[in-house]
Amino acid sequence: MDREALLLDGGRDDGDETRDTAALAVELLGADGWRVTHLALREIEIAPCFGCFGCWVRTPGVCVIDDAGRDVARRMVQSDLLVYLTPLTFGGYSSELKKAVDRLIPNILPFFQSIDGEVHHVKRYERYPRLVAIGVAPSGPVDPEDEELFETLVHRNAINYRAPSAAACVIAASDDDAVRRDRIARVLEVDAGGGS
Amino acid sequence: MSDATKHVVLLVGSPKGLEKSRSSRLARPVVDGLERRGWTSESLHLHAEVATEEGRERLLGAVDRADLILFAAPLYVDSLPAPAIRGLELIAARQRTDGVERAPRFVSILCCGFVEPSQNDTCQRILQRFADQAGFEWVTGVSLGGGGPISKRARSALGILTEALDLEILVPDEVDRLTRKPAMPRWLYIIGGNVMWRRWAKEYDARDRLRDRPYRRPDS
Ligand SMILES: Cc1cc2nc3c(=O)[nH]c(=O)nc-3n(C[C@H](O)[C@H](O)[C@H](O)COP(=O)(O)O)c2cc1C
Repeated sequence: MDREALLLDGGRDDGDETRDTAALAVELLGADGWRVTHLALREIEIAPCFGCFGCWVRTPGVCVIDDAGRDVARRMVQSDLLVYLTPLTFGGYSSELKKAVDRLIPNILPFFQSIDGEVHHVKRYERYPRLVAIGVAPSGPVDPEDEELFETLVHRNAINYRAPSAAACVIAASDDDAVRRDRIARVLEVDAGGGS
Repeated sequence: MSDATKHVVLLVGSPKGLEKSRSSRLARPVVDGLERRGWTSESLHLHAEVATEEGRERLLGAVDRADLILFAAPLYVDSLPAPAIRGLELIAARQRTDGVERAPRFVSILCCGFVEPSQNDTCQRILQRFADQAGFEWVTGVSLGGGGPISKRARSALGILTEALDLEILVPDEVDRLTRKPAMPRWLYIIGGNVMWRRWAKEYDARDRLRDRPYRRPDS
């Protein structure tokens, strides 16, 4: 069976912020044998989470909002790799990426358990995808504080969304092609190919 | 606005809005307290404002009038709900392009579902980065955990915060000390919470379906 990757692209407006990086990630994963679904979230209507917890107590496992957010949640669970791509936004995710991420909570159970001395939710499914996040800073050089914050956020998310493993990197839009290719290949754990 | 009258703008980033959300119920006493001290105020619900052109204008207008921005939101997956991030994106983009000179002070109140207030730490750092980039003066971030109603300790912390904001003095460490501790032991929170979810699902006849796996992979 093919390995499935889901790329959630949180580029805003016309998508300029992430277009090249998304294309590079799709190319590198494809060359490594992954089947990639690339969702440009700015083009997809996904209502914001209402915070009603209906996806836990009313229609368990399915969001009460019937729109493309459900489709993203289904694809997430059925993937082996989940890639978040986002313009670095105050060290975190853009609103476009986050509208999809907020709608993934149906995929965990409401029940609480202790993980490493903190409360988190119990798994709904046996398997979850590895999480890789790529942040694109609008201009270089990348602020190390932003990078560290982004990595922390991704690792916190991996605990909450029960990813078996996680990695993150931040690249600058102004990095040259070879540098970007190399960093993205490394975080995706694939070969950088001829371009590096 | 005269020098004597200060203006606080409350931005609420919960889908549950200005009345029902826990975040706004935490922030409201601060706004009320400042009003009692002679401040004026306005409150905006970010989810509603970012959804329309008029709302976005209103949001930016309110920020321009603010001496103090009080931002209150729930923690959503270690960060803010998407529409709250949208609001901050708009504010930061405007502050950068317009080069507004005044630097309003910025305070955040975050509440999360899990019992440990420290779960909000990453998000508080995101808000601090936002304040830097928007050209606001970061004052402090108050973090509250879940579990039960708003505690007496949290209320007194918010009282101390209000006074410090009014007097424009450093926020005393007392605020952090009163809010840092989980409201109850973790084991109790876990047991009580798990009972609560089952009861809630029962109301919808969904108790036996709580562990459904509608999206299970065909190969698992
Ligand atoms: C989509 C979603 C994600 C959440 N993520 C977290 C989380 O990562 N950590 C946490 O402690 N609570 C989390 N919560 C719980 C909320 O922070 C909590 O219920 C909060 O008190 C809601 O406040 P409000 O009434 O102001 O919206 C989440 C809730 C929702 C709906």
